[in-house]
Amino acid sequence: MGEIDLSSFEIVGTGYKTQDEIVLKKSLLPALKKLPWLSIIVLSIIVSGCVFADHISNHDPTMYYLDHINEPPSHEFYFGTDSMGRDLYSIIWYGGRTSLMVGMLGMVLVTLIGITYGSINGMVNTRGDLLLQRIVEVFHCIPTLLLALLLLGTLGKQSVLSLTVVIAIVSWFALARIVRSEVRQIRNNEYVLAAKTMGSEFPHLVRVHLIPNIIPAIMFVVISSISACITMEATLSFLGIGLPLDILSWGSILSLANRALLTNTWWVIIFPGIFLIATLTCISSIANTFRKDTNKKPNRL
Amino acid sequence: MSNGADILQNKRWSMIFRQHPLLEKILNNLLILVGSIFVLSIIVFVFARLSPGDPLLAFYGDALEFMGPAELDAARARLGLDGPIYIQYIHWLANAATGNFGLSLQYKIPAMDVISPLIVNTLILGITGYILVFTLAILVAIGCALHEDGLFDRIACQLGTMIYFIPAFWLGLCLVLIFSINLNWLPSSGAYDFGMSGNLVNRIEHLILPLTIMIGSHIWYYAYMIRNKLLDENRKDYVLLAKAKGLSKSEIIWKHSLRNVAPTIINLMAISIPHVLSGTAIAEAVFNYPGIGNMAVIAAKYHDYNLLMLLVLISGSIVIIASIVAYSINEVVDPRMKDTGVTVWEK
Repeated sequence: MGEIDLSSFEIVGTGYKTQDEIVLKKSLLPALKKLPWLSIIVLSIIVSGCVFADHISNHDPTMYYLDHINEPPSHEFYFGTDSMGRDLYSIIWYGGRTSLMVGMLGMVLVTLIGITYGSINGMVNTRGDLLLQRIVEVFHCIPTLLLALLLLGTLGKQSVLSLTVVIAIVSWFALARIVRSEVRQIRNNEYVLAAKTMGSEFPHLVRVHLIPNIIPAIMFVVISSISACITMEATLSFLGIGLPLDILSWGSILSLANRALLTNTWWVIIFPGIFLIATLTCISSIANTFRKDTNKKPNRL
Repeated sequence: MSNGADILQNKRWSMIFRQHPLLEKILNNLLILVGSIFVLSIIVFVFARLSPGDPLLAFYGDALEFMGPAELDAARARLGLDGPIYIQYIHWLANAATGNFGLSLQYKIPAMDVISPLIVNTLILGITGYILVFTLAILVAIGCALHEDGLFDRIACQLGTMIYFIPAFWLGLCLVLIFSINLNWLPSSGAYDFGMSGNLVNRIEHLILPLTIMIGSHIWYYAYMIRNKLLDENRKDYVLLAKAKGLSKSEIIWKHSLRNVAPTIINLMAISIPHVLSGTAIAEAVFNYPGIGNMAVIAAKYHDYNLLMLLVLISGSIVIIASIVAYSINEVVDPRMKDTGVTVWEK
């Protein structure tokens, strides 16, 4: 046997890879860099401004400065005054409290109702599943706004709590559907069967196996529901069927916008709107980070 | 929607239907339609009756204070508010079957008469908006898919997300502020100027701003979904094959990817109808356009729940019918979804 001469061999296909390289250890830095810092900073400025509204605002939000009606932005009234003589700069910070509270409370309620209904829907037998799904489908057929109008129309004057409950009642369907399909997938898994054979009860199954597994799938919808609730509140209050004028929120401030159109006072419309949009955009871009990236394959086009 | 096949378990009937597949399909869809509208009516009724607001107060206002107990009972009977809730529901349903949906509490005339002149206006706005939203959304999505991560794609993604998060009513206010009040180009409210209901140009002028906010608040949601579907499709092997055959990018998208995404788009269009109807309602309310959405807002303000129930029923029925139509269209477009009725081993 002669010695093998390596130079007589040629290595072919050096670029050929059977699978993508798997990076095992990820450093924290790229993950941190991926976070939407601009949104986080802007949102925390707005939130802290609303929390510390007492210190930031330079006028009393409940006062009507009747000799300063419809005044353009100046160094005394930073954002001007509205047609009732209120200082916009102050009432925007105070109104933000209500709007953000509606968003957070709405999110909690939507999540509670959605997860409960979705889990039940996912766990029952085929016939029950069909029935519960049909109910959600029929609810889905009614435009959200009209359903909210139906509920609000039969209620009297709104408070923050009742409005939030109405908003939550009309906006949990999408979440329930997602939870249902996730639960259906999970409940057929072996580890659930194993837990069942070991004698675990239903609440234990839900708490230990179900909820931790569906959280990544619903995170995006849950966080987006904050902005959905805020938008809904603003829209309903603007239309005059949400919060009354004396409960400050970005929506109820904007409900004076029709009067502002008549007098052509742009600041009454623009400033609350900018706060509203900034909050919504920030929340959505934070929610987007919870979305899983699906397009990992190369584009064939 | 389920195909309701379990209802047709009976052998003899299924024999008849097998010979007439079209008949079977129509009957199936009718069953679904009637069933869904029935459930819808129960939901609407229960929601309206269980809320704590007092419909008597809404109808009679302050006159309620001067009524004796006998008069109150008579008033309740007149408005169909006596007896337990299921009796009330049966009464209401029996009346509804004959087209009598009760009096509008605010206008004191039958609710149907209040709504019927407004439906056409809403349909004009809704259908035009719907078509425009989806045409533009598909075009934008194709543009994005052609240049993934290119300049157009990135600009569209950023701009689209931003516009999507502007509340529709606020966008409407800004448009009125700019185009009607300061530039004085377009009218700010109504469907037509007084006495010009037949004037097409005048109507279109009134439609431009409402349509703009409908497009603005809906387009990106759908364009983004279609874009992502197209991008998923472009990652499949047949696209590589088509490219190897020498087809150009736009040819692949138009002839292959788009066709495979078509069922998804049609489903999306069906699901989107309640969403677009909500948008119509906001557009109508902002621009004071005489349609059923604006009427719903007014009815809610005056606690006119008879009118509201009818409005919700009408829009719900529109959505149910549309989703059945979408399902049928999908069977034509995508043969894979067709339920042939004959299983392989029976052949």
